[in-house]
Order: sequence, then structure tokens, then C-alpha cells
Amino acid sequence: MSCRLPIQPFEWLDRHQRVRFTLEGRGFEGYPGDCVSSALWASGQRLLGRSFKYHRPRGLLSLANHDINALYENADDTHIRGDVTPISAGLQLSATNTPGGLWHDRMRWLGRLSPMLRVGFYYKAFHSPRRLFPFWEGVIRRAAGLGKVNTAWRRQVTPKWYTHCEVLVIGAGPAGMQAALHAAEGGARVILVDENPHIGGSLDYAWVHDSEAASIRVQLKQAIKAHPGIQVMTGTVAGGWYADQWIPLCTPDGIAKTRAGTMIVASGLLEQPAVFHNNDLPGVMLASGAQRLVARYAVQPCRRALLLVANDEGYRAALDMVAAGVELVAVADLGDPDARSALADELRSEGVPVFARHMIHEAEGSDGVTGAVIAPRIADGQLDLSASRRFACDGILMSVGWAPAAHLLYQAGGKLGYDERIGQIVPRELPDGVYAAGRVNGVFALADQLQDARRAAADALAVLAGHTPKGDPLRWRSRDCHSADWPIAEHPKGKNFVDMDEDLQLRDLLDAAAEGFDNIELIKRFSTVGMGPSQGKHANMNAIRVLARTLGQTIDQTGSTTARPFYHPQRLDHLAGRRFRVHQRSALHEQHVAAGAMFMEAGHWQRPDYYGSPAEREDQIRAEVRAVRNGLGIIDVSTLGKIEVLGPDAARLLDAVYTMRMTNVKQGMTRYALSVDETGVIVDDGIVGRLGADRFYVTTTTSHAAASYRQLGRYTAEWGLNVRILNRTGQLAAMNLAGPHSRRLLATLTDLDLSEDAFPYLGIREAEVAGIPARLMRVGFVGELGYEIHVPYTCAAELWQRLMADGDDYGIRPFGVEAQRRLRLEKGHIIVGQDSDGLTTPYEAGMPWSVHLKKPFFVGRQTLEVLQPRTARQLVGFALPTNYTGPELCECLLVIADGNIRGRVTSVSYSPTLGHLIGLAMIDKPLAGIDQPLPIRTTDGRIVEARQVATPFYDPEGLRQRADLQLAEAV
Amino acid sequence: MPWRLLKFALNPNHSEPRFFPPETPLKERYDMVIIGGGGHGLACAYYLAREHGVTNVAVLEQGYLGGGNTGRNTTIVRSNYLTPEGVQFYDASLKLFEDLAEDFDLNIFYSNRGHYTLAHTDSAMRTMRWRAEVNKHFGIDSEVVDRSHIAANVPDMDLDCGGDAPVLGALWHAPGAVARHDAVAWGYGRGAYQRGVEIHQKTRVTGIKVDDGKVRGVSTSRGDIACDKVISMVAGSSPRITSMVGLETPIEIYPLQACVTEPVKPFLDTIIVSGSLHAYVSQSSRGELVMGASVDPNVLHSTRSSFDFVEELADKMLDLFPFTGRLRVMRQWAGMSDITPDFAPIMGKTPIEGFYLDAGWGTWGFKATPISGKTMAWTAVNDRNHELIEPFRLERFADFVQVGERGAASVGH
Amino acid sequence: MKLIPLPDLGPRPRSEFDYGGELRRPPMGADTALWAAYVFNRQGAPGLLREWWYHRPTGAWYLFERDTLADRFIRHIPVQDIQYELPSADPAV
Repeated sequence: MSCRLPIQPFEWLDRHQRVRFTLEGRGFEGYPGDCVSSALWASGQRLLGRSFKYHRPRGLLSLANHDINALYENADDTHIRGDVTPISAGLQLSATNTPGGLWHDRMRWLGRLSPMLRVGFYYKAFHSPRRLFPFWEGVIRRAAGLGKVNTAWRRQVTPKWYTHCEVLVIGAGPAGMQAALHAAEGGARVILVDENPHIGGSLDYAWVHDSEAASIRVQLKQAIKAHPGIQVMTGTVAGGWYADQWIPLCTPDGIAKTRAGTMIVASGLLEQPAVFHNNDLPGVMLASGAQRLVARYAVQPCRRALLLVANDEGYRAALDMVAAGVELVAVADLGDPDARSALADELRSEGVPVFARHMIHEAEGSDGVTGAVIAPRIADGQLDLSASRRFACDGILMSVGWAPAAHLLYQAGGKLGYDERIGQIVPRELPDGVYAAGRVNGVFALADQLQDARRAAADALAVLAGHTPKGDPLRWRSRDCHSADWPIAEHPKGKNFVDMDEDLQLRDLLDAAAEGFDNIELIKRFSTVGMGPSQGKHANMNAIRVLARTLGQTIDQTGSTTARPFYHPQRLDHLAGRRFRVHQRSALHEQHVAAGAMFMEAGHWQRPDYYGSPAEREDQIRAEVRAVRNGLGIIDVSTLGKIEVLGPDAARLLDAVYTMRMTNVKQGMTRYALSVDETGVIVDDGIVGRLGADRFYVTTTTSHAAASYRQLGRYTAEWGLNVRILNRTGQLAAMNLAGPHSRRLLATLTDLDLSEDAFPYLGIREAEVAGIPARLMRVGFVGELGYEIHVPYTCAAELWQRLMADGDDYGIRPFGVEAQRRLRLEKGHIIVGQDSDGLTTPYEAGMPWSVHLKKPFFVGRQTLEVLQPRTARQLVGFALPTNYTGPELCECLLVIADGNIRGRVTSVSYSPTLGHLIGLAMIDKPLAGIDQPLPIRTTDGRIVEARQVATPFYDPEGLRQRADLQLAEAV
Repeated sequence: MPWRLLKFALNPNHSEPRFFPPETPLKERYDMVIIGGGGHGLACAYYLAREHGVTNVAVLEQGYLGGGNTGRNTTIVRSNYLTPEGVQFYDASLKLFEDLAEDFDLNIFYSNRGHYTLAHTDSAMRTMRWRAEVNKHFGIDSEVVDRSHIAANVPDMDLDCGGDAPVLGALWHAPGAVARHDAVAWGYGRGAYQRGVEIHQKTRVTGIKVDDGKVRGVSTSRGDIACDKVISMVAGSSPRITSMVGLETPIEIYPLQACVTEPVKPFLDTIIVSGSLHAYVSQSSRGELVMGASVDPNVLHSTRSSFDFVEELADKMLDLFPFTGRLRVMRQWAGMSDITPDFAPIMGKTPIEGFYLDAGWGTWGFKATPISGKTMAWTAVNDRNHELIEPFRLERFADFVQVGERGAASVGH
Repeated sequence: MKLIPLPDLGPRPRSEFDYGGELRRPPMGADTALWAAYVFNRQGAPGLLREWWYHRPTGAWYLFERDTLADRFIRHIPVQDIQYELPSADPAV
């Protein structure tokens, strides 16, 4: 039984082709341009989906992307909305949340349980006895939820891009088109968006046979097409409004992030259903939905319709239906048809009976509408059933009122309120640069909508030109009522749905209010009204009306819930866009790869953990340590922060930022640089080197490089210092050549006098190494004679290769981060963030020598002065015997004494040099003492008694910093 | 089917009792005034009435019950904290949570899902071990687990995270749970109301009267009230209240955002948190994915949403669950968080006699709802800090003593 | 995305900035209680707040007065207006 109409003037169909698709194995056919719902409806398929809770049959409602009960899924997607998704050849769909299928849904008996499943029923059951709750929860979880996720789906990478415009117009109906055109003619760059595949909006479905509309349509569309200043984006949803007019325009292909100078919301209205018994049966639909069905898809909504109206729009829809060959069995007007325009008379003249002050009492039918019973309205919204009339029909069309699609206006900070005269929520106060035009602004007559649009566009242009807008947003607002204040009828059998997403009946809301959930937010949360996928687009307004009447309040007193993004749900794939991840690689990365490095992640950096195969990890690390201790090693330390501090106040700046005195660092020397925050907690460490009176070179830890540079800049500004700060972190590569052969090798590559007197420990020099300009520092982190060599990153590979080649004679070996950690641990040096935590002071870390409290000022000084005598924890070294064979020790095991937590292990590893386990632990001070026991509890609860030992574990006198094999051999 | 539902069916006209009172006039005097009708405030009222017999109490709420952070959080309950004081406090809370549904005779959907905190770096693994060891010390079921444990429980997760920062292991906290946040507030509210406490919604506190360092009363949008004790339980707005009594605190307000997808059939049972990815997710009993991240990067007193938040979150979520790319985000929202320097709350007595503070709840206030109510009730009645909250006293900052919770709470879910 | 109005470069997106927090000035020589208040306490209530913002692309710090309730940048504060002298140290060597 085809319901396809002859060609309609503005239909979206391409009648030259046919498209076949299947729904749960049954074949259907439509034209390109059909949506799933229209193609099904055209084929006489009126059962489109099932409701969420009771699995009731549902059909068409709005055809405007709000028909949540016609949801489908297939191999590629779920929550496919039938009312907007175009059909395509070979599409294979099944209805969501229909166990056993759309036609044989095994859960369709659930409606019979509705007396049990009263609002909030799940709060009142299933929790006792407690042991049964998991069972019931499983039942509820499986029943809830709509679509099924296919875990084999993979990320679909979609682009995101940026656009800008001076005027963004949301909605390409008559008002939106006119506003866009007026703004563009005023010289503005305009983007006009509409979620439909074509512009036109209500002009093309609600004003199809209107002669005035005909000329407007042609003129607007042609002018828009011809105007170079207007970019039209169809199929595009303005997802939400964010600060400073930042609006994601969500297209089928990805999201255009748009910065709009001004925004004109011409998004129109959402038609609201009437609430009566069986108002959800297939065949009951919004009049505007029926108009869309006819005008866009050339499908007849039904053969015989009863129309429920409360406004002129309903009568126009009635005439449209007559034109589409629908037999109107009756029109029930909630109010007085004679108070409306001449349309009612026009209908009567067509022989359609029109009943004044009537409401639908119930719809009849089981799988679809077979009849309707109407009755006169008497006082207080009650119906006089003694005077009811029954009409046989297969469709009920509702045109009883509207709610504004004002989501973006709310999000932009607009204030809206209820206009009693037109029965609609309208904008009251909008922020600068945000305008509403057309029906969303309560303007209904077509000519008035165009005037209102020009007003909004003129205001936008004025603001863009820096003038005060002068338009009056109330000027064109309608003066008659377009929404019934009570399009709702009680019914002893219920099934009068207020929210069709959530299957909420009138009684559910009344019960919720009676239980004390009697404000709009509480009733929403308790009943879940408005919480389904359409976010209450067809439910919230009626819910507000129900609550207002229950409480005897006005609509404004009752208020409304917030309209949060998104206007329509948006895919995570689209929101995520392209997948960007920062990877930083040192200039020496290729060298490490060639040398067989196994990498680890250090922030965004990839650093060699060790060199060699994973199977030999421990052996390789030990060999790397031995190479540094006994011969020669080299490590890439390019990830360190590297900052130049220049200027007359450079020393003062560093003195005030670091805990040690920096003003008296001698030229050509370095000093340990520890910084704490205002609370006295260690945040970073590194080296300050003085290259000249006004020239310093500072290194920081890898993770704190950016923050240190940032902080230095801020203090410079705050203290008004004459300092320049340069971040060289990315520009310079660095490598630490360490081990007793280091001087011998380096001497062959530089003219610099490397003798102990000329370039002592902790010295810094500038010289050429292998012809490359370099900075050299004698540093002690790993505890051997060594040189940290900083060179431009472009020369790093060349130098590395040279050192490796020439160092071959001395058994040079690259070493990684893990070997360096062992080497520094042998020296008792801390790693900030590992041996210190979010509260560790230098005193706790055992570094009182690093704090010069005598300085008049440094960041954190006064706090440290307070904390010094209160130091309650201490970082201590510990060791286990060479023959220790107990359980494995790892970092963050707890120190337990008398059954209490007294500290934790911060570092522990096998010392290849000493031949046993060593570590650091942060413990309560009373427990600390050389040779005292350190009881460590292992993961399985055993206590391992370690012994506290002095640090450094290795070379406490620091003699190795000067240990030069060349010299030794010479002697 | 449970008998109560049969009762509904058998007696269609049966009407349920009210949860909350209709609006009544304010009295001139109360023994105690609780500012804030969220979970904490209602819980405090409940325990005041139930455990201390103090019922001449008014709960004042500027909006509607549970409409602040109680109704905006992502409902995770856990006790796998880092510090002994934190662990003991949240464990006591979790144990109260387990009994709440039966205490209230109201199903709060307390759903024990298990909770993974994923570690993607060595240092995160160290922190997980630290937390696990402290937790175990206090008898709390937490352990560090490897990838295979996660793979067995969450087989659909991409442990390689799309190729960057793969998951190395996790802290597994079996008692981790989610609950229906609104129902928790309603249960406490109903219980307090049934015991005689007054609950006043849409009643905004405009001032607090203090004489000689003592609380004397409260001014509201509906008139003045006399009282000797005021308990401020308004996390997200705490500085507004403390400024009324001239009390300085370290609290700053940062927005915390979240979002949900359209509801789908269950596929994720456990709660997943990733500190490195700044993302967490669970699936509600309605079937929505409930997702969030860390707080916004600057101070703001607003519940506006930002698009950057949802972009970033979606991107990270797809690293963990690539197949969710086809799910659609239905709604995003935000709450305001009281943030403290040490990521621990501020609770108990203050220098102003009769003014008690329950604040600084950062991003973890929901899970502390029962124990906060209980300990604050005790504290106000005895005018002495309950031992469980003593570490969280406001004066700790004057003493330069911070709670070391930063490591466990910086992504606090 | 929020725009931040730089005095010299015009409005720039929030994503280019790091937040530096409330502007504060250490009370040099204050007693311990005042010092603790300086270290920890903040102006938590909504209102006008003077804050540091770091602009990464230029590596420059800016100070703005912002309405933290409306999220509105009210004015730029020249850094000269808030500078203070470091307590006198030894003259730079």
C-alpha cells in the first residue's frame, strides 16, 4: 500500500532512481532523498520502532531529528535516527532495543506492567535483600540502554577545521535566510547553517501553497545563492554556544569550529505534542511532521485524519492535508476557531466539521490509530465525556503549540520567559551580539518574520560597526496565541505520554510532584523527563505546564531546565577529530636507534632506557654502569632544560629564584640549582653556570624545563629586573661524556686546556669540540670525571659519532636512563619527583647545605625558615647484604615499625659497582640513623630488614670526579 | 518482582508519602543551621537527627535539593587514597555507603563495579604501588595489577592506547562503586525530614551574623534566623560563605566538567580512570557512558561548558575504547569545585565560634558524603573536631602542615 | 574557546595561554601567621581578580583584571604597576 504522492513542488526526492534497503530482513524501497522513516511510511510501514520502557509501537512524530522512537542500528553504527538519515542502497537496518525484532519484540508485554513500574519504581525496590541487588541491577541494565555497541568498531578519523564569520545565522528558514541576506548586503561575511540538506525551512513545508511565500522563496533563495558574502552550510548543526561566540558547526564530515562576530538565531520552533490516551500510537503525529512528510518526501501521512489544533498553523496544515488528498474527518480546536483567521472558515467550506473547545480524549487502536474520541473541554481542563464523539481515522495530527529551539540562546546567557499572550517561551534579554529572529522570537506572520530578520541583521551590523543596536525585538512579535496552555487530558487508563523518549505518562509527573519532587529540576531528575536522547525537545514544555498547574504557579515561576550542549548528540569520533600526539625526539634519536636503544617515555620525550635486547636488559644496564665507572660512557641529556639568563640583574634573579647563593658564583664555575615553591617544597633542580658577569647558563630537569623558563620570565617581570631570558632547550643538544677516560678522549678533540687547574670540577667553559662550538661543564651527577657538552642540535649527531668513533679505543659505551639512575643512586643524588614527593622540603631530602637561609630573599625562604626546625622526615640511604636473597624490593614499599607506616622506599636498585642492593627511603626522623635497621614491608607482607647507611654509597669523598686514567697511567 | 511493585499494581490509587516537605515559613530560631542542601548538608542533618537527637535544624538551599555538585558529579565511590588520613576517612565513607540503601529504604543503586586507575608511565606505576601498599595497610582491597588483569576484566579496552603511552598496569580497587547521586541526597533529605529537620529550598543565605567572634544568626532571602551554630556545606561556593564571616581560606574555585553519551546496552562494568590521559569513564545503569576529566585550568565561578573539554576528552577516550567513536555525546555540563593546595578537604571548627566548615571538596566530594555528614554532625554537636577529620582542619595551613594527597587526588575520581 | 585580549596582539585563544594564578605580593618581613596566610590563602570569592597569564607563543607574561563570575577580562594591567623591589641583596657581583 503505497502512500507516495505525486511530485510535490519542493520535494527532496530524486524520482529518477530507486533505492532498496532492508529493515530486519524485509525489503523496502524509496527514492534518493528519502529518509528511512519516510521511505518506510511511503511503503505503508507504520511501525517504525518501539518505545524505550514499554516497547510500545511507535511511528512518526516530527521528522525533524527528534523522533527517538525510530532508532536503528546496523553493522557500522547505532542510534541511527530514521527521521533524518537518508536511505542508501543496500542499507541493512534493525530497530534498536527490540529483543526479538521490531515486529516480534519479546518485551512488548511490559506495557501491561506499567501499574507496577510507576515513576521512580526502581528507587523503591530491588535494594533489599542486598544480596539480590546485583541480580536486579543486571536485569535493569540490560533492559535500559538503546543501541548495541560493536566492540570491533575502530576509530574513524575525521577532520576538524576553523571558520570565521561576522554574522552566523542559525537556521535557514524564512527568517534565517532573510537575516543572512540582509547582513550580507550590509557588507558582513555571513555563514548560514541549517541542519536540513536544503535551505528553506518552514517556507518549504508550512507555506507550500501560500502565494505570498512563493515570491519570497524565489527571491531569497536566488539572492542567497548569488551573494558572495554568504557561505551556506546545510546538513550542519550548530552543536552549542561556547564563550566568545565559539560555535562548533557539526557537519556530516566533521566539525567546523567557528568564531562568529555576531550570531542570529533563527532556529524556529519545536512543535509540541498533545497529551492524551494513546497519543503515541503510530499515526499520531505533529502537524508540522505531517507537513514535512508531504512537502519533503511526498508521502501521504494517512488517509483519514483527525486534526487537533490550537493555532493558525494547525489550520494551514489542515489545508495542506486536504491538498495532499487526506480526508479530514474533523478538526478539534482547543479554543475558539472563530477567534482565529479566516482559515477555519476555509476548512468549513471544504466540508470539514470543526469543533470548538474540544480536546482528544483518546486515540483508539493497538498497533496504529483506528479512531479518535474527542470531547468538549469544560472548566479546569476536564473533558465532558458525556458529549464525546468518536471518529474513525488512521491519523491524528496535532498542532497545539510550540517551544522555542532556543538552546543556543540559553547557552549564550540569554534570559527567556513565558509570553502569556502567545503562550510561548520567548527571549527577554540577550547578550550583546546575539539576536533571535523569526518564530524563535515569537514572530509568526511570514512578512513579520522577514521584518524581524532585517531588524536582527541590522542590529548585528550595527554592533560590528561599533554602534549601539537600535532594533526593537518586540516590534514584530505576534499578538495572538499559538500554543494552548493545557493541551493535556487525563485518562483513567493513562498511556497519555508526556515524554516519549522515556515513556513517561502524565501520572508519572503528577506522582513525582506529589512525592515532593515539585520543582522543575527535581521532577526531571526523579522522573527522568527530558533526559532521553532528544533531551526533552517534545517533553519539557508539557512537563513545565503540568508542574505549573499542579503547583498553581505561572510558567515563569516554574522555570525551565537548562539547555546544555549538544543540540543534537555528536559522535565522539567527530568531537575527537584528528589524533595528534606530541612526540619529542632528541637530535641524537637516530644514533640511539642505530645503537640498539630500547626507548622509554619521559614526558613527551623518547629517551633510551638502555641499549641492547630486552632479554639482556639487566646485563646491559650493569655493563653500561661499569663502562662509566671504569672506562667511558656517554649519555644523551638533550632533554634537560637549557636557559640563558643575560643582563645586569641576571645574578640577582637567579639568587632570588634558587635556594643557594648565586651572586657569588665565579665566572667559569657552576653551582647546584635547587628551587622550591612558596610552600618550601622542592620543585626542580639543575645547574647554574656563570659565563660572564652578566651571562648565566642554567639547566633544569627534563620535566620542569618549560615551567622553569616560564617562572624565570615571570619573576623578571614581577621584580622589574633588567634580564633577558632565552629558552635554548630545543636549540641545543647535550651529551654527558663520563668516566675516567673522558678527559683523554676530549683532549684529542679540543684545544681547551682540560687540566685540573685550568678546568676544574664544576667548571664551565666555551670552546670548540671537534670543530663544533660547544659549552662544556664538569658535572657530578653520575659521580665520575665527566663533561657535559652542549652543542647546537644541528651538530649533535656529528659530535656523537665522532666521540663514539674516537672513543672506541677506550671502550666507549652509550648508556641510558636506567644506568644513569643507578649511577646517581650510588652517589646518593635525588631525582626530583621520585625521591621527593609533593611535600618534600630540602631539609627532608637531606640537603640542608643547599639552602642559604642567610640570603635576604629567595622564593620559599621564609617558609623554609619556619619548616627547618619542624623537619619530621628524612631521606636516608639503606643497603642490603651482598648475599641478600629475600623477596624483591621495589620503590614505594612501606617502612613499617611497630605496625605503623613510618616511611617509604623512594629508590632501590642493585648497585653494579657495590654488588648489592642500595636505596633511599623517606622515613620519620626518629627512625633515622646510620646502621639503624630499616624494616621494609614487601608486597606480600613480609618484613625485610635493611640497614641504614651513609650516602653517597659510592666514593663519599668525591675523589672519582678527578679520577683520570690518563693521569693515573702517567704516574 | 519485589512485593512493593505488586503493591503499586494492586492499588492503583496508592499514593507514596512525600520525600520532602512543602514550603513552610522559616522559624525565628533554630539550634543549628546548615547552609547547603546537597548531599553533605542533608547527610549532616540526617545524622544530627538520627544520632544526636538534634532536630531543631534548618537546611537552607539556594536552589533545589542536590542541585549543586551532588547532582553534577560522576558518582564514583572509592577509598584507594594515598595518605593514611585520607584512606581511613574514605573507607569509613564507603562502608556507610554500602548500608545506605537499607538505612534509607531507598535504592541508591550502589553498584560495586571495581575501579582501575591506569598507569601509563613508570612514575605512575610507582604512585600506584604506594597507594596499594598504604591501602593494604589499612585493610583496603587495592592492588597493583598488570595488563593481563585489566585485559581479563575489560577485554574491549585498547591497552596500547592507539600506540602512545600504553597502559603498563593499574591500581585495582575492587570495592570501587558508582551510585545514583541524586538518590543519595534524596535519601538523606527524606530521612532528615522524617525526623523533624526543616528543609528550605530556594532560600539563599545573604549574610551570617557574628558578634564577639560567635555566630548569632543567618540572614536569608526569606528573612533572618537566629542560631548559635552554622555549618557551611556548600562546596563550589565555599568562599562566598566564608567571606561572610571574614574567614580567609586557601580555597579557589575551578570548574569541573563531565558529559554523557546516549544510552547503550551494557558493555563496560568497571570504572576506568587514567591520570595520564586525564580521563575517566563508567557506564551508568541507564546505559550512558559517564565521562569526565580533570578540573579546568583556571579559576571560574561558572557552570558553563567548554567545547575544548569535550574535544580533548573524546580524543583520549578513543585511545582507550576506539569503538566508542560511534557513540554520541548527548549532554555536557559542569560543576564548580573548591580546590585546596593539598587536594584534601577543609573540615571542622574554625576560629569563629559556632561556625563549622565542610569545604575544599575538590573533585571528590560525592564519595565523602556519608562520612562528612556524620563527622560534621558529631563535630557541631560536641564543638570538637571528630578524630577522622582532625587532619583536615583549616588551621593546618597556618601551621604549614599539608595533607599529602596530591598524588592520589590530582585526577580525583 | 575563550579569547584573551592582549594589549599588543589583540584577542588570542585561551589555548595559547597558561594560567599563572592570582597576583600576590609577598609581605616581606611579615610574621609567621601573615606569611602562612600569604602562602596559602586566596581570594576565593567571585569578583574582580588580578591574575597572571603566560602567552606561550610569545613567551610573555600578562596581567589582567578579570571578573571571575562573568569570565570577562576587564583590563590589562601593565606589569610596571605591580612591580616591587627585591629585598636588597648584595650588589650584583
